Amino acid sequence: MISKFVGSGLSRRTFLKSSAVTALSAGLPGSVFAAGDTIKIGFLAPLTGAVAAWGKPGLDGCEIWAERVNAAGGIKLADGMHKVEFVSYDNEYDPAKARTGATKLIREDGVSFIMMLGGDTWPGVQPVADKTGMLFSTLLPSDLSPDTNTLIAPAEVHPIYNVTGVEWLAENRPELKTAVMCAQDDALGLPSVATYLAAFEAAGIEMLDEPLLFDPATTDFAPVVTRLISKNPDIVCLDTCYSDYVHPIAEQLFQQGFKGQIISCTADFYDQMIAKTSEEFMEGFIFQFPDFDDPALNADNINFSDPNGFYAEFNKRHPGQWGAVSWEYASIMDLWKAAAEKAGSADPDAVTAAMKDGGKGAHAFGDADWWGTELFGIDNALVGDWPVVAIEGGKARIKDFRSIPDWYAKHGDLLIKHMKAYDQMWDQRS
Amino acid sequence: MPKFMIWIAALAALIALPHGLSFSQQEILVFLTINVLLVASYRLLTLTGEWSLGHVVIMGVGAYTSALLTKKFGVFVPVSMLMGGVAAALIAVLLSFPLFRMKGFYFLIGSFAAGEIIRLLWKRFRDPFGGAKGIKGIDPMPDFSIGFYQFDFFEPTSYYYFAGFIVIICLWILWRIEKSPVGLTFHAVHWQDKLAQASGVNVRAYRTLAFAIASGFAGISGALLAHYVGTINPNAFDIDLMVFVLTWAIVGGTATFYGPILGCVVLTVINEIVLRELGLEQMRPLIYGAIMILSILFLPNGLESLVQKATQKRAGNGAAQRSPAE
Repeated sequence: MISKFVGSGLSRRTFLKSSAVTALSAGLPGSVFAAGDTIKIGFLAPLTGAVAAWGKPGLDGCEIWAERVNAAGGIKLADGMHKVEFVSYDNEYDPAKARTGATKLIREDGVSFIMMLGGDTWPGVQPVADKTGMLFSTLLPSDLSPDTNTLIAPAEVHPIYNVTGVEWLAENRPELKTAVMCAQDDALGLPSVATYLAAFEAAGIEMLDEPLLFDPATTDFAPVVTRLISKNPDIVCLDTCYSDYVHPIAEQLFQQGFKGQIISCTADFYDQMIAKTSEEFMEGFIFQFPDFDDPALNADNINFSDPNGFYAEFNKRHPGQWGAVSWEYASIMDLWKAAAEKAGSADPDAVTAAMKDGGKGAHAFGDADWWGTELFGIDNALVGDWPVVAIEGGKARIKDFRSIPDWYAKHGDLLIKHMKAYDQMWDQRS
Repeated sequence: MPKFMIWIAALAALIALPHGLSFSQQEILVFLTINVLLVASYRLLTLTGEWSLGHVVIMGVGAYTSALLTKKFGVFVPVSMLMGGVAAALIAVLLSFPLFRMKGFYFLIGSFAAGEIIRLLWKRFRDPFGGAKGIKGIDPMPDFSIGFYQFDFFEPTSYYYFAGFIVIICLWILWRIEKSPVGLTFHAVHWQDKLAQASGVNVRAYRTLAFAIASGFAGISGALLAHYVGTINPNAFDIDLMVFVLTWAIVGGTATFYGPILGCVVLTVINEIVLRELGLEQMRPLIYGAIMILSILFLPNGLESLVQKATQKRAGNGAAQRSPAE
């Protein structure tokens, strides 16, 4: 603080060092470790509010991951074994609070890596990332751009994987010819709208109306659904609606007598949706996030360690709370751990270099490529296969794994066309 | 102690304050300082008896104006902040034509609708407003030196001093307005509008004036926020934040100038520091709501009533101590 009175011009490196010294002087471990010190990982996501369903279950999954890793001895760096611990900060999906949280995690808690949901919160954090050089991860690669060098999207390529659901549907239910779509009008909804439009166009499915964009503050979905189904579509697409929207929309579709196909990015807490509607109504509901007790996840190409055991433990501790992100942050930690052990260090630059070495990475659903220059302006998204999930007899089941790069090789121009129409390309963002 | 000594001591305490806080608490202090201006400006509007649900959107008008002026036209940041305030005031004047055909509850609902229209316009017109994603990469306040102190506006302490300086000036202006004949007329418009009208006061013009002034200062607070966080989007100015502003005003009380500020400071410290430090991070909405309900039940006149009681008691004790000597 006193240095403010005599000079300025902190570089990223000196900033990190001074932060580490500050953290150490406060009795907290920083980026520089002694053997046996605990490595702290930051968890900066919404834990309360409308978007909490994509934060809180992830933190719960990470706690299980940490216990498993620590029980096995911890993370092996060049100077020995280290236990791992998560430090969370609820950013309430607010950029200003995300900035505060990033500052706390880096400058006070001395974390080595920060996992975020991303979206609206990333622009608030980006100046902190630029200044400190801290490595961040996001679940939303639409945050990526050529100037986000310290941001990676190693778990999911939202919303690009949504193409796999539509592709599978077109192949397995060719009688479905028309669709309508709704989404909340925000940073999560719009790129997903563009992706679904590209996927439907590639599959030869006609859109009966423009996507219906509703305000995120919407609470009454009866008029939304009435308008959606007024044109008698074969398919209703719920885009990447938050679970707070997916549930009431599904309930309205049920109450207003919709009998067709529903496709959605997520179906978090689908058991509650079944309880609000019926097993018959939810039969065949397509989405993209499996339960990890699925037998298909025991295949050799799956890189997530003991998915069935992880799922059982999660449900034991947090019954009914399994959701899309329960495993994702933990799978990012698998990648981070492997990279840190390979580099022998928790230093953000060393971990990043080790993680991207050779241009390939061990994604939870199989080996994948670091990819994204065309769409995001930077190869910081890990892309490979993604599962298509359907509800059958009240239970989510993986129907197939589809390759995102293969779809993109055939229809990438369509995706770029629709992304541009919605101003979602990296060079179009304000 | 002479009054000016108290003010100097308070100023010294405000200057020293960030140095006793952690980095994240310094960040919270910056946002708290900005919110103090927001809630104080809201109180000016309530002087005329009208409660708006669009004040936070008006704050957003200032934020968007200032961000666009710097991003598209390269306007110097402090000038763009001022322009943000002016734009917010002008929008308020425009809105006053339909809104001040209404009073009370109807004005409240009308202001909410007007605010939603503005938010939807930000979403609809991606150029220039950035649509739902809003605007990011907003120019920060440029660093500068004043010889003995280097302002680096990435650092919360520097921005706190800058924002604090602006906010103190704004609060002083608001205070002067309230104590001026114009401010007294605002009170008259609230409590005796028929009498004021009969005395030749143009009630609607004064309501518009209060709305425009309050909106101007809210716009400046929005601009201060935009150039610190570096990003704004329509959801940042939605009804959720408006509920917080109402809560600060209600829990603090609006009878005095300091009431809403007290509410803002106390509730922010409880919500952002105390509950997080106690490890009750995920319980905060529940506890915050409980505090609000309890304060309304047991402190119907707001936190300011506690201060008033304490100062009255002190004044009473002082008088009692003086009387034997007399």
